[in-house]
Amino acid sequence: MRAAFPYLGRGSWLSRRDPRVLLLAALVFVTAVTQLRDSRQLAIVLALGLAYYATARIPWRTVRPQWIYLLAVISFFAFFNSLITGGRTGTFSGVATHVLVTLPPFGTEISAEGLSLMLSQVLRYAAIAAVGFPIAYAVAPGDLGVALRRLGVGDRIAVMVELTVRFIPTLAAEFGETIDAQRVRGYNPTARGGGPITRLRRMAPIFVPVTVGSIAGAEDTIDAMDLRGFGVGRRTWSRELRFGTVDRLVVAAFVAFLGLATFLNLSGGSQHYLLPFLVSA
Amino acid sequence: MNSMNSGQSDGTWSITTRVIVYAAIGAALYAVFNYISFGIAVPWSNAVSVRPHYGLLTFFGFAFGPVVGFLTGFVGNVVGDQLTGWGAFTSWPWSLANGAAGLVAGLFPLWMARRMTDGTNRAVTAAVAGVVATVVGFLLIFIELVTQQEMGFNAILSEEYIPVIIVNSIAAAIVTPILVLAWEPLREQLGR
Repeated sequence: MRAAFPYLGRGSWLSRRDPRVLLLAALVFVTAVTQLRDSRQLAIVLALGLAYYATARIPWRTVRPQWIYLLAVISFFAFFNSLITGGRTGTFSGVATHVLVTLPPFGTEISAEGLSLMLSQVLRYAAIAAVGFPIAYAVAPGDLGVALRRLGVGDRIAVMVELTVRFIPTLAAEFGETIDAQRVRGYNPTARGGGPITRLRRMAPIFVPVTVGSIAGAEDTIDAMDLRGFGVGRRTWSRELRFGTVDRLVVAAFVAFLGLATFLNLSGGSQHYLLPFLVSA
Repeated sequence: MNSMNSGQSDGTWSITTRVIVYAAIGAALYAVFNYISFGIAVPWSNAVSVRPHYGLLTFFGFAFGPVVGFLTGFVGNVVGDQLTGWGAFTSWPWSLANGAAGLVAGLFPLWMARRMTDGTNRAVTAAVAGVVATVVGFLLIFIELVTQQEMGFNAILSEEYIPVIIVNSIAAAIVTPILVLAWEPLREQLGR
């Protein structure tokens, strides 16, 4: 079982940036893009987000399943949402909707407003994902902790996040070994039948050994850290990060975008956009 | 301090080495199980499935305290979302809600310390803690009223909050006590 964050963006322009740039960019971008509603503006933002993503040079073949999964789920989710709201939310609250189709048996309406809202939602999610992906694939292994620390996160929390990422491949391997060991004992992980609660309880032979074994194994890590005096004094990090001029410019561009999005939000310049071709049809 | 909360030797809110490592283990397990994502379909719903690993989050909170619970839920969900391809920050209110659920589960042993006199009481309290933590913690997904304005209150309530608290409560009520009962003898053996 392969569960890890491979360094796919190695050598790319974005991977050569200070890792703090990638973290700050994502945080600022999420704050900005959640303030925008107009699908035309969000389409431009998505294009810019994809341009940023492209600088990480993450091989498409490797992440294609992830993008397909993401786009399929958010499209389904946004469509389902448009059915539930009927398009009567956001900017379209309290206005008469343009019903395109009425679905039996409950008379669920697909409206021009609902589809317009759906488009805004899909564009926003995709843009956030485009800027977030490089954190996983274009930050060098071992740089995440120090980057968080230099951003003001406490040493201990920074170490905790670093440890989490490092534990993932080990725990995924342990999970695979546990399934194999239980199979030898006659356990069938793919067995069907019974209700959800019965099947949930049937997972115990997997969950219990993996979880309890991991906690017991954690004692070695705790002892090793304590013996090395972790947390006793001020912690230092061997990795030095340099926030260069280009890094500053990139972050400044994201902050400027945040300023623009906030202005558009507060001035009412980013309302949900009703797709005209749906109304005229 | 009660016996189930002994993961924190320096107080409930201290971030000790033990807290860091337990939180990292919890978050990594939660992320890995999220990645494997073997949801169990619920007959009355097409879109909702019970995720057994949700019980891990409430267990880590209940057994090791609110700080471990919060970090397991928040970091585990962020990392798990990125592993599955959803994107680390795409649904940040959900990560916050997972963290809050872990935190509330971790507060329960502090409130109920006197009632947890034996293994059975502890298991029952763990199940109750898991359900209450889910109902309270996931209230934070209503942040989407601000971040996803295409969703009205009714859509978030019917499409997200109610389904998720039902399935996660089922997982928490079953998996949390199982893990508490499995961990208890080992905890005593380790002298924690």
